This record gives sequence, C-alpha cells and structure tokens, in this order.
Amino acid sequence: MAEIHLDPKVLSGLQEVMEGEYPKLLDTFLDDSQKRVEALRTARDDAKALGLIAHSFKGSSGNLGAVRLAELCRQLEDRSAKPVPVDLGELVDKIDQEFARVRPLYEHERQRFQL
Amino acid sequence: MSIESEVSLDGTTLTIAIKGRFDFGSHQDFRNSYERFYKVPDTYIVNLKETTYMDSSALGMLLLLRDHAGGDEAEVRVINSSSDVRKILAISNFDKLFDIN
Amino acid sequence: MSVLAPVLEPLTILIAEDSAADLLLLSTIIRRQGHQVLTASNGEEAVEVFTRERPQLVLMDALMPVMDGFEAVRRIKQLAGEALVPIIFLTSLRESEALAQCLDAGGDDFLPKPYNPLILAAKINAMDRLRRLQATVLQQRDLIARHHDYLLHEQRVAKAVFDKVAHSGCINAAPNIRYLQSPYALFNGDLLLAAYTPSGDMHVLLGDFTGHGLPAAVGAMPLAEVFYGMTAKGYGLTQILREMNAKLKRILPVDMFCCATLLCLSAQRRVVEVWNGGMPEGYVHEITTGKRTPLMSRHLPLGVLLAEAFDDRTEVWPMAVGDRVFLLSDGVLDTADANEQLFGAGRLRQVFAANREPDHLFEEIELALAAFRGEVRDDVSMVEITLQPGQSLRATGQLYADSGQSSPLDWSVSFEFRAETLKRYNPLPYLLQLLLEIHGLREQSGALYSVMAELYSNALEHGVLGLDSRLKRDAQGFAEYYRLRNDRLARLNSGYVRVHVQVVPTEVGGKMTLRIEDSGAGFDVEQVLARPLDIDRLSGRGLSLVRQLSSDVRWSDGGRSVCVEFSWEALA
Repeated sequence: MAEIHLDPKVLSGLQEVMEGEYPKLLDTFLDDSQKRVEALRTARDDAKALGLIAHSFKGSSGNLGAVRLAELCRQLEDRSAKPVPVDLGELVDKIDQEFARVRPLYEHERQRFQL
Repeated sequence: MSIESEVSLDGTTLTIAIKGRFDFGSHQDFRNSYERFYKVPDTYIVNLKETTYMDSSALGMLLLLRDHAGGDEAEVRVINSSSDVRKILAISNFDKLFDIN
Repeated sequence: MSVLAPVLEPLTILIAEDSAADLLLLSTIIRRQGHQVLTASNGEEAVEVFTRERPQLVLMDALMPVMDGFEAVRRIKQLAGEALVPIIFLTSLRESEALAQCLDAGGDDFLPKPYNPLILAAKINAMDRLRRLQATVLQQRDLIARHHDYLLHEQRVAKAVFDKVAHSGCINAAPNIRYLQSPYALFNGDLLLAAYTPSGDMHVLLGDFTGHGLPAAVGAMPLAEVFYGMTAKGYGLTQILREMNAKLKRILPVDMFCCATLLCLSAQRRVVEVWNGGMPEGYVHEITTGKRTPLMSRHLPLGVLLAEAFDDRTEVWPMAVGDRVFLLSDGVLDTADANEQLFGAGRLRQVFAANREPDHLFEEIELALAAFRGEVRDDVSMVEITLQPGQSLRATGQLYADSGQSSPLDWSVSFEFRAETLKRYNPLPYLLQLLLEIHGLREQSGALYSVMAELYSNALEHGVLGLDSRLKRDAQGFAEYYRLRNDRLARLNSGYVRVHVQVVPTEVGGKMTLRIEDSGAGFDVEQVLARPLDIDRLSGRGLSLVRQLSSDVRWSDGGRSVCVEFSWEALA
C-alpha cells in the first residue's frame, strides 16, 4: 500500500485559511517539530515524557497534514501508556525518519512564497 | 387550566368553559374569552363542568364579566358547578347576582 | 471567510496551547472570524491572562507543560463565578475517560484536532448563545431578587403603618378576645378589627379581601377607618355596614370585594348581632349545653352591590355569660393536603366535637391543620370572643380635643323622627355628638349613650312597632321577636319618635333633661316596674339598665313619654 506522508488537500485548506500567514505557519511548524524530534531523542528512556511530547506532536502534525507522522506519534503515545514497559526506541527512530522525510516537502512548499 | 369560549350559531349566547383551576392565573384568559368577541351576545353562560377549584379571585372575575355584560341588566348563567364549587358560590351568595344551576 | 456563520458581536477569546504551530493556526482562524485573540502557552499563563483580561470564552489545550488544562480550567471557572465563561477543550484525546475528565474539570465542549474552521465557528457561536442566556438569566434573577427585597420592604412598612391603624381598637387590650392570625395574613387579605361602642358593647369585624398582596391590603385602611370612626360615635351595625359597602364599592375595582362578618356583642343586653357576607360560617357556642349555632353567610360580600341594593339585615342571637362567638377565615377551611383535599367544615366540626376545654380550641384547630397538611397556611385567621359580665362603660374621650371653655349651657332642642326616617336612620350618634358638646357630660358619655340607646329602642320597638318584650323569654321567641321587628320596620308608614333635650345651668354646674315620646299604645308603667330587677332573663333587661344608670326615670302619658335627667358639676 502506498503510504501518504503529506496530505495536499490539508495544505491547500491551510493556505486558504491562513492567507498571508501561511509561510509563517510552515516556518513555525518546522521549527517546533525540530524541537520535538530532539526532545524525543533526549527522553528516549522516559515513557511518560515521551507520551506527552508525542501527544502534542500528534496534534500539530495532524493539523498540518503530516498524516503518517501524526499516526506514528499516536502509536508512541498509546504505547507509552502501556502498564508493561515496552521498548519505544524503535518508534522514536521511525518518527525521526518520518520527519526527515516530510521536512523537505514542507521546505519545498515554503519556497513557493517569498517572505 | 384552559378556557374556551364560543358563540352560538344565532349569535345570541356566548358560552365560556373553564377546565381545571379557576383562580388568579386564569385572569387574562378569562377576560380574553369574552372581550375578543366584537358582537355583544344577549346571554352569557359560564360552564363550570370541568372546573376543579375556584377561589375568591374567580368570583371577582365573574363580577367583571357581569359588569362587561351590562351590570344589573346582564344575563349571566353559571352552569354545571360541582358541589365544592357550588359551596363557594353559596357562601358568597352569588346566587343573588347570577343565575346558578 | 464567507462560508463562516456571521459573528453576532466580536468576543475576546483566550487560546491556551503549547504547540506554537497549532496556536498560530487557531489564532488566525479565530481572528478571521472577527474575534479578538489572547494567547497563552501553558495553563499558568492562561490563568494569569484570564485574571487580567477577563476574556468571554476560552479555548484550552488539555495537556500542557507547567500547568495542564484541567487545573487551569478549574481555576478559571472559580474566578468566573456565576457568569458563564464557556471553555472549549482543544484535544486529540480519544479515550472516553479522558474526555469525561475534561467535562469534570468544568469544560463545556471539545474541539478535536485537526481543526475544522467551520465546526470551530459553529461551536463558538453556540457557546456564545449559552453565555448570553446565562448572563440574561443572572441579570433577571438579580432583578427579581431586587424587586423581591423591595416588595418585602414595602410590605414591612405597610404592615407597620397598618398595625397602628388596625390595632388602634381593643383587639389586644380586651380580656375577652382571643385571636390567632398569621403574621402576614393582612397581605393575604385578612383583616381583624375590634372596638368598643360608647355604651360598652363590642364591635368585631373579620374580613377577607379578594386577592393577595398589597392590592388586598389597600382596601383595609378605609374599612378600618369607617369601622373605628363610626363605632366610637355610637353608630349601629347597619349604618356601619352601609358606609363600608358604599366606600368599598366606590374605591375598589369591580373584581375586588371584601367578605366580612361584622358583629356587635352586648354584655349588657346579652345578645350578639351578626351580619355575614361571604365569610365561612362562624358559631355561637353555648357553654352550658355545648350547642353551636352557625352564623351563616346571608349576604353578598361588601363592595359588590350599589348602596340602593345593599342588604343590611342582621341576625340577633341570645347569649349567656361565658358563651363564646367563634369566627374564622377561609384559610382555615381551604387548607389543602398533599392531594389537594381541603380541610373543610366537616373536619372543623370534628375538632369542635372532640374539644373538652374551650380555652384549648385554637391550639386543637392548629394541631388538626398541621396534622392535615404538615404546615399551616399563612392566611389563617381565627377569633373568639367570650361574653363577660361587668363590661365597664367607657367615656369616648379621645374624640374630643377642645378645652370645654365654650360649652353651650342654656338651650333646648326637639326632634321628631317619622316613619321613613325610623326605617333607615339611627339618630343616636348625632344626638350623642350634640350632647357631648357639653364638657360636663363627657365623663358620663357611656352611661348617657346607653340610656339614650335603651330609651330610643324602647320607643321604637315597644312603642311605634308595638312589639312585646315578653316574646323574648326563650331563644325561639327571641328569634321571632327580631324577625317581627325587621318585618314591621320594613312596612312602617306612620308613627314617630320625638326627642326633647333641655340644658340649663345650675348653681353647681348644669342639668340635662332628656324626654323621649312615641306614637305607640303606651304600657302599664306600674305593672312593668313592679317586676323585680332581673338581669338573667332575656327580656326586660333594658329598663333595669336604665334604672341602674340614671337616678331619676319618670314615665307619663300612659307610658308613651319617658324622661331622664343627667347633672354635672362645673370643673374646678
């Protein structure tokens, strides 16, 4: 199954809603997401902290149409809440890779607008 | 409480039927029941068949109707009163003003 | 943004969200919808901004650093107090438990991520409607509370004023009256008045105005004024009733009236005279036999009929010392239980039947009402008057304020009252007023009035109407006597009563001679006076009274003319 990483309909909707603020939204998202990816790496062994970051990251990536990223965050949030400790490192890596994958797509979208 | 009124086909009699409690809460409805008719009937009939309770403000409303209908010349009949309601009418001696049966 | 629902009025909306991208997105959406936006990136900041800016609506992320959304919402709701500040949780929480937690903390709605601007606008509008509704409700509640306070204040003032008027009589002073009235019975239309006549009889009125509240109480003032004024001047029940009826008819709207029992209890004559228009029946309770005679409502209430149609006929019942008259308002009989069953006259009679100690009757009625309903209504009035002997004759001192220096001391006057006048006019109050112009007579006004009243009614009843006092030897004859009196008076078309007054100065003060003549057949003075002074029989008490109160009583013209004298000494 061909996985969707970025939903173009969401982006066009956001552009319509944000109008002139659209490039700033993309910048903010990339900047914010970078911080969250780093925070996930740092908190690698702390299930509770991972859960909180994943929850928040899930929300913003969902809003920005990063469908796969949001789904991975949801999985991490779910698993972090399991009573029996499980290895979350693999999921953190997947999120890291997924962000690396969508980042150029957002940057490309961003370049269509000059600040 | 509900109040319904209707004029006979020949237009000479207005019948007002009061259901449930006949007390201060019925004041406006009772007045509307006869004031809304343009033509003045000869006879007014107040049907208390389904009236469960009546207080002194209801007696006041009957006086208002009598006044509206022409005072001493008015023909107002009060019909079908239950024994409880009849007791109230009797204590007040309203049979001296109204045709009660 | 033409697709969005129009905004009624721009709101100030606080958004608390730790994700910078989400915050930017949401702020932009909401600004585009026409609202003003405040932002916070955690719960603590949200509480700070709320405290400072008092926004009307809050969008709150659930999970945030420093202070989470749940705690922030609890604090904001507390700060908001009674006003509704709607809070919409921004959440991607999916477990129902977590959603319930949002509501428990005080949240009013949710908005799931990713955001949909249409749904967001619709929710904001819906919440704004709720907010306005709550504000209106609060405003109206406060308004009602203010009106209520105002009304209570007015009632307290009115009650204080009214208590002064209503209790200016003898209701609290007379030893033979017991009464029970709910404190605010007046505002349910109940009125209880009592006062002495110049001859020491007692007038009592128990009334019940239609309706409730102040409208029911306003008619009470003029009624009390007529009652006290006319009672003090010596007017009888029929004149007082006529005046009350005419006054109420004049001032009250058509649908307002006053049910009333008015009675005159005479310890001297051992009778009670009663008029009942629209009140539940009271009772005369004969203590020796336990018999209770009902005082039925025979008339329309006061204020209904025009003066011409008003019926002032009273009933008279004999009473012995210790007998009691009991009156009550419909609040007693209409006390309803949980099933809207009324207490009723039947249950009242059961209380009467079970009563062993007459002094405990009120308490027993109250207990029965309480047992029937659980609590007593606030428009319950009861009064009981006992016939007690030796009621002292009262001077009507408070009616006069002049010094007496200008008293007329040498004059005479004659009146002739003919059939049409005798039917409906009582000349005694007028005559009393005239005589009390004489300062020296004021001390004796009670005795003077009693003697005048007795001689006048003898002249009218035994003279003009030809009634035989021996009829009154038993209760049945007593009723017959008063029935005949009413009949003959109604058909009277000839006859007269003449009153001659002569006032002359004497060496020590002055002397007033009162002569009363009638057109009747006269009577055998020797024979009547030979009867012993008898105070226990129903008949013949009047002459005994006159002979007790005035030293010199002389009859002439075959009993058709009687003359008494009153003397006084000049004041030092």
